[in-house]
Amino acid sequence: MIHMRDVCKEYDNGSVALKNINVDIEPGEFVFIVGPSGAGKSTFIRLLLREVLPSSGELYVSGKDVVNMLRNEVPFLRRKLGVIFQDFRLLPEKTVAENVAFAMQVIEAPRRTMQHSVNSVLDIVGLRPKYRSFPSQLSGGEQQRVAIARAIVNKPSIVIADEPTGNLDPSTSWEIMDIFRRINANGTTIVMATHDKNIVDTMKKRVIAIEDGRIVRDEAQGGYGYEV
Amino acid sequence: MKFNTMEYFLRETFLSLKRNSWMTVASIGTVAVALFVFGMFLVIVMNTNRMADSLESQVEISVYLKDDISQDEIEDIGDKLREMQGLESVEYISKAEAIENFRERLGEQSYILTALESDNPLPNSYKVRARVPSLVATAAKVIRQFDGVEEARYGQDVIQHLFDITRLARVIGVSIMAVLVGATLFIIYNTIRLTVFARRREVAIMKYVGATDWFIRWPFIMEGIVLGAIGGLIAAVFLRIAYRFVARSISDALTFFPLIPETPFMYVIALVVIISGICMGATGSTLSLKRFLKA
Repeated sequence: MIHMRDVCKEYDNGSVALKNINVDIEPGEFVFIVGPSGAGKSTFIRLLLREVLPSSGELYVSGKDVVNMLRNEVPFLRRKLGVIFQDFRLLPEKTVAENVAFAMQVIEAPRRTMQHSVNSVLDIVGLRPKYRSFPSQLSGGEQQRVAIARAIVNKPSIVIADEPTGNLDPSTSWEIMDIFRRINANGTTIVMATHDKNIVDTMKKRVIAIEDGRIVRDEAQGGYGYEV
Repeated sequence: MKFNTMEYFLRETFLSLKRNSWMTVASIGTVAVALFVFGMFLVIVMNTNRMADSLESQVEISVYLKDDISQDEIEDIGDKLREMQGLESVEYISKAEAIENFRERLGEQSYILTALESDNPLPNSYKVRARVPSLVATAAKVIRQFDGVEEARYGQDVIQHLFDITRLARVIGVSIMAVLVGATLFIIYNTIRLTVFARRREVAIMKYVGATDWFIRWPFIMEGIVLGAIGGLIAAVFLRIAYRFVARSISDALTFFPLIPETPFMYVIALVVIISGICMGATGSTLSLKRFLKA
């Protein structure tokens, strides 16, 4: 699903973000990316989304060669990825249902399936009753659930989450993790960058620790491994 | 393009124009003014061109014949002219034809000729056209020596002078039009850049969920096209009003100035102005999106 071979990333200003990264993630895996701030977690995520290109090395995401990809192929890679951010990034002037449907509209999905798909993902995140609310009328946890619904409505093969619980209190964070667990159980690969020791230690999933641009640990059922 | 998508684009375009209604009004107004001045110079340049063309066709020698010569002598002079080297055409115009032509040129004011009906003061003449304007002076000098020729006249000095003026008008007109095209592009570029900026979050999300560049671009390009088209339409309406007004005052004052008739000329100008507006709208918004989409 994700294949990285000797991937290095050096930014234009000369700062080295990642060095010799070798990672293989299989379909259906649930992977945490952990590490201190500035260690390279964000760069790792941005490489998967092809927001930045590796300076050297091989990178395949969902079977596609990201390095040698044409510019106009990038949107079609992103359609296989569902992205979730710490700050939700919902459109404030659109309702819950419209925010989710927006992701389908912009990839020109057929309208007759839209209603059904939006309803079914709102059921998954438990927000069907609030489909007409605006983001400002929702709690942080509810907003993140809308963002998750938007990320999965186009049935991506990988969900990429960058600190999805970073702005949420612990009990809300667990609601979010529960949704991720269910999405993962349906066969969707999940890659989640996080600082939340409690979540990582409890979930007992694969953990990749990045420090100073290198992978320092890759354990099948690891823990967070740092004292907070 | 799917119907669904088309509908989405139209709605987005309309919403964006409405959301920034003051900005929309301001830029349509500025585009209209720029396109009006653009169209004005287009009209001036085209009229000057036409004047130059009609003057160019008038680089000819009028050979006026004496009134007291016979028909045979008139034909002899005609034969001699046709034998001359360097002339392109020789055309006989009788007294009667001459006054008829004059009447036509006067148009509505031809009543001033009624007094002359019984006593036509215009002479018989030959209209001689030289192959090249530079031969005109020499040819005229030779023709003047013919028996039965009263005078051979041409207006080359005047014509050269008018050529210089029309050329100058053309150069100035085209340069000002180029500046105005630049200004219109800039206005639309800026307006669309502001709407792109206002919607940058939306655009970012569109990119994350896999919208193609063209899908993101279309609503903004359509917005630019709408700005350009409406601005062009307003400019076209005012141009037509202005042209009618100017044409009326000129035809009263200068009978001989050959202004291009309003129809279909102003329809063509309207089309040109509106299409220019549309093209500049599309180009302006494409330019403003270029940097934004790259990131």
